[in-house]
Amino acid sequence: MAHETEQDTHHPSFKQYVLIAIILFAITIVEFLLIWDRVGIVDYLGASKIPLLVGLSVVKFYIVIMFYMHLQFDDKLFTRIFIAGLALAFMVGLALLGLFTAMNGDQRYYALDRAVPYEEHEAAHETTTPGTGGTTGSETAPVAAGPIKVGAKGNELAFDTTSLTASSGSEVTITFTNSSTVNTHNLVIVEDGTKDAVSTDGTVAGPDNNWVKPGDSRVIANTILAGPGETQDVSFTAPAPGTYQFVCTFPGHNFTMFGDFVVN
Amino acid sequence: MAHAVEHEYTTTGLNHRKMLMWVFLGSDCLFFGALIATYMVYRGQSLVGPYPIDIINVPVTTISTFVLLMSSFAMVQALAATNADNKRGIVSWLLATAFLGAIFIGFQIVEFNTFKNEGLTLGGNLFGASFFTLTGFHGAHVTLGIIWLLAMAILAAKGRVGSKTALDVELLGLYWHFVDIVWIVIFTLLYLIGGFDVGPVALPGG
Repeated sequence: MAHETEQDTHHPSFKQYVLIAIILFAITIVEFLLIWDRVGIVDYLGASKIPLLVGLSVVKFYIVIMFYMHLQFDDKLFTRIFIAGLALAFMVGLALLGLFTAMNGDQRYYALDRAVPYEEHEAAHETTTPGTGGTTGSETAPVAAGPIKVGAKGNELAFDTTSLTASSGSEVTITFTNSSTVNTHNLVIVEDGTKDAVSTDGTVAGPDNNWVKPGDSRVIANTILAGPGETQDVSFTAPAPGTYQFVCTFPGHNFTMFGDFVVN
Repeated sequence: MAHAVEHEYTTTGLNHRKMLMWVFLGSDCLFFGALIATYMVYRGQSLVGPYPIDIINVPVTTISTFVLLMSSFAMVQALAATNADNKRGIVSWLLATAFLGAIFIGFQIVEFNTFKNEGLTLGGNLFGASFFTLTGFHGAHVTLGIIWLLAMAILAAKGRVGSKTALDVELLGLYWHFVDIVWIVIFTLLYLIGGFDVGPVALPGG
């Protein structure tokens, strides 16, 4: 019996259990205060609330398994078995997250968007890479008469023109000047009639992708985001003759901020 | 007197049943880990509402979280009473634990109903699917724990639970605390962090 009695003395006393309960309670209250908007701390924290909250719940987790579940006082093998399961679960989680966020979270369309019909393979390296922002295109294409200048219409959610033209196959440079003092814009050339669909997908892609879904096959070319007063260029080879659209894909702007891009 | 069960010979020198419980809990980590990871993968991917910010009620769930934490305290008291052969204590603390667990489930039933009335369903969007699957399975674990607690309380009332069978209560306690720590994770990820998520079409700046 000496063995059991010895183990008993290692268990926390009633007072210690109460103390542990109070600590757990206090941490929960702190977590709640951190995120409750009426307290206002959350406004100061911003994104740093996430590591803080994760840290606090890890502390709670640790306290419960170590004291309430007696791992602190029990054979270390139990701890190892449990931690092994926990670690495996963690890795499964990381693997899943990695799987679903790889290729910009767009695995389903990744191959489809990049598929090039066989006969176009030869010329594939000369075509533009849509959606990646910045200047792209071949240097051997005919040079156009000079950059096309477009601006934002002051602080309105509109461009200062509703129509642009270019010659098919020519190297086009569009210089977009954001004259707004408050709004951020971009300029995206898209297939006719797809401006809203492209913008919806761009909203999901987020500002880090310039509000354009990476690899979007409907996008001919796009500038990166231009903050208030900034100017951004985009160069590309004008596509086949026809009507295309130019649009700002900043969330909500696409309904009023667009125009026709006509290729002769 | 905590572990005054008949000593059995095992290669590890540790009790088989206790080992089995820890192996089960370790594997249950994988079960919940997969569901939590699925929730995180689908987080913010719902194309239609309701979105978390529309329906998640953090203050109310903070209360039910507190209730579940306190049930863990009652559980350790039940084990302490078992070790002390305090029959009255065993029964009361076991019933208190079950009662607090039932309150938690009550909160969850009300929450699920409210969410359903506000349009969140298992098949409505990714948020609903991953939310109900994860919290539903957790609720099922709690419910199972309540049944186990009540069964143990009945045995205790009959005088069949005491220091000689303390391992039975200890295993029940391990399960109950595990359900508690799973909720600690769910509460942090789904409510404190994810409870303010907006839908993809209403990102900031839009």
